[in-house]
Amino acid sequence: MNKVEVVGLGAWSPTFADWSALCTGLRSGEWSTDPALQPELIPTRERRRAPQLVKMAIEVMDQACKMANISPDDVAVIFSSAMGDMQITDYMCRALAKTPKLISPTKFHNSVHNAAPGYWSITTGSFAPATAVSAYEHTASMAFLEAAIQVVEERTPVVLVTQEVAAPLSLVDTCPSEQAFSAAILMTPPGFSGSEACTLAFSVTEGAEDWREPDPRLSPELANNFGARLLPLLTAIADGEQCAEFKFPITEFASLSLALSSGGATSA
Amino acid sequence: MRLAITDYTATSAAGTGLVELRKSLSARRSGLRKNDFDGCDLDTWIGRVAGVEDIELPSHLTGLQSRNNQLAWLGLQQDGLLDSVKALSDRVGAHRVGVIMGTSTSSIGRTEEAYSRLEESGRMHPDLRQPGVHHLHSPGMFVGAATGLKGPSITISTACSSSAKVFATASRWIRHGIVDAALVGGIDSLCLSILYGFNSLELISADPCKPFDRDRSGINIGEAAGYAIVTRDNLANDARLALLGYGESSDAHHMSHPHPEGKGASIAIQRALARANVAATSIDYVNLHGTASKANDRVETYALAELFESNTLVGSTKGWSGHTLGAAGILEAVIAIDTLRTNLIPGTLNRETDDPEFRFDVLSDNVEKRIEYSMSNSFGFGGNNVSLIFGRRP
Repeated sequence: MNKVEVVGLGAWSPTFADWSALCTGLRSGEWSTDPALQPELIPTRERRRAPQLVKMAIEVMDQACKMANISPDDVAVIFSSAMGDMQITDYMCRALAKTPKLISPTKFHNSVHNAAPGYWSITTGSFAPATAVSAYEHTASMAFLEAAIQVVEERTPVVLVTQEVAAPLSLVDTCPSEQAFSAAILMTPPGFSGSEACTLAFSVTEGAEDWREPDPRLSPELANNFGARLLPLLTAIADGEQCAEFKFPITEFASLSLALSSGGATSA
Repeated sequence: MRLAITDYTATSAAGTGLVELRKSLSARRSGLRKNDFDGCDLDTWIGRVAGVEDIELPSHLTGLQSRNNQLAWLGLQQDGLLDSVKALSDRVGAHRVGVIMGTSTSSIGRTEEAYSRLEESGRMHPDLRQPGVHHLHSPGMFVGAATGLKGPSITISTACSSSAKVFATASRWIRHGIVDAALVGGIDSLCLSILYGFNSLELISADPCKPFDRDRSGINIGEAAGYAIVTRDNLANDARLALLGYGESSDAHHMSHPHPEGKGASIAIQRALARANVAATSIDYVNLHGTASKANDRVETYALAELFESNTLVGSTKGWSGHTLGAAGILEAVIAIDTLRTNLIPGTLNRETDDPEFRFDVLSDNVEKRIEYSMSNSFGFGGNNVSLIFGRRP
């Protein structure tokens, strides 16, 4: 069977600071406004300089590892985003159009798509494999498939990050993302860690399903965020659903089928 | 699990397709030229593929117009690759062949162009809004559309290891059974972001790059498109070559400097050896990352010294092509694979003087030798390392 166990989760957006705030918000309708984004793993001194995208990713990965009580250096990383750091892309392209010789070297090295997994490896001391991927509007579902296959084939825990920052006006015609969103799903082979939020059986099926309608409990601005496209799965886990099935398109020809079982509430 | 490599090709400044690449390697003729890239006045040398900007995309692909996709298209035309993809697709079904591309900067050159003439509203000019271009999956989308393949499709972007990673992902997908085969590859093209970006880090050389030379003074930026078809072993017919192993690691050290003792590199190599079940002493040739930056070349010899004996021939081919960044993984994998067929082990171009800080002997001159196992190393910003091992099918 193609199964993974979800053992840790993380979330951050301008309306929820972490996974338990997401769970609470879904239950009560009470949401935060612009919670601080201050990942403990990044030293205070460097937090101000670190790009928002990197801080979001480190924050949610850290939440997921803490929930699972798994040491970060045992965990392979898959970071996914359709566009990467659009704030840096915007900076670079504007600077190149005017003063190319004055490009900031720090912004340049932060412009690589694997900046977040790079910082994660540096800050946790992990030598584990790390990758960064995009599949445009199918990024989140395709990255989930990549992560689940890596869990099964390498018999290793993998933390998947799906995220997108809000798009600057110059990029909205490619990426309509209106509100930043980041989530982490830490998954392991079945029986790996003893603690589990739920089990997910996965497979690829022919035919591209439509994306599900956004959950009316969530901010409507998240509907156009490619990184938030697995929210139906995440909200089902947050709601403690025992049994649920999902289909997410991974290309224009095929879908990822997921069957969730024996979930428990994981707001703790 | 061994996977067959049935076809491969590469296009770079060192040659468009395998025939030209082999000629350049054999004649030790560099493809580097004094920087003449449009819009860039930096004093450096570059590995530009001539005529990329004049390549016309077929009408159904013009919406994906960008230098990167023009280079991707040029690369797809070489060595009968499109015919081989079609034959494979007819045989197993288009949905059973995955598309896994690597890139560092995708079609960013087109995005730069769009920014140079944004509308007053701040949005892109309608002619340049192309939704298949201004994001990281542009190479995967383009290759999918150009080949008609319908399997899962993803673009990996881990800086200079991107298109080495594609072999690891293909291996997992095929083992898992979601595809029977994958078209893997990598495309990166010259753009201002990269030229001025590496300039800001003071890593580009004003001279032709000199990998593993004592007086090396930095890298030359190049561009390339390369591809390989990787299949389940029992689909391979009479193909003779195989992917035997891959190893991936992170450096846990710095965003743009390698680990000072080459620890991440060494871990990636050891993981590849373990997966291939091959001893380091059996590896005949290693195509090194060898960028000609001060730090990379020194540290790479540390990792080699820890693992290999003097019988292993090691060299860098970046003196021919320049550093093709997100396409370096596939270009150099293709060179490492091709040595198993041509028996031509490329040395290291522009290398004159050994550096006393090195801990391992690097090959300067080309060598003719039939070999059994070759390796290719790729290391990227963010401390992202990949090592690949190729060999023969019995």
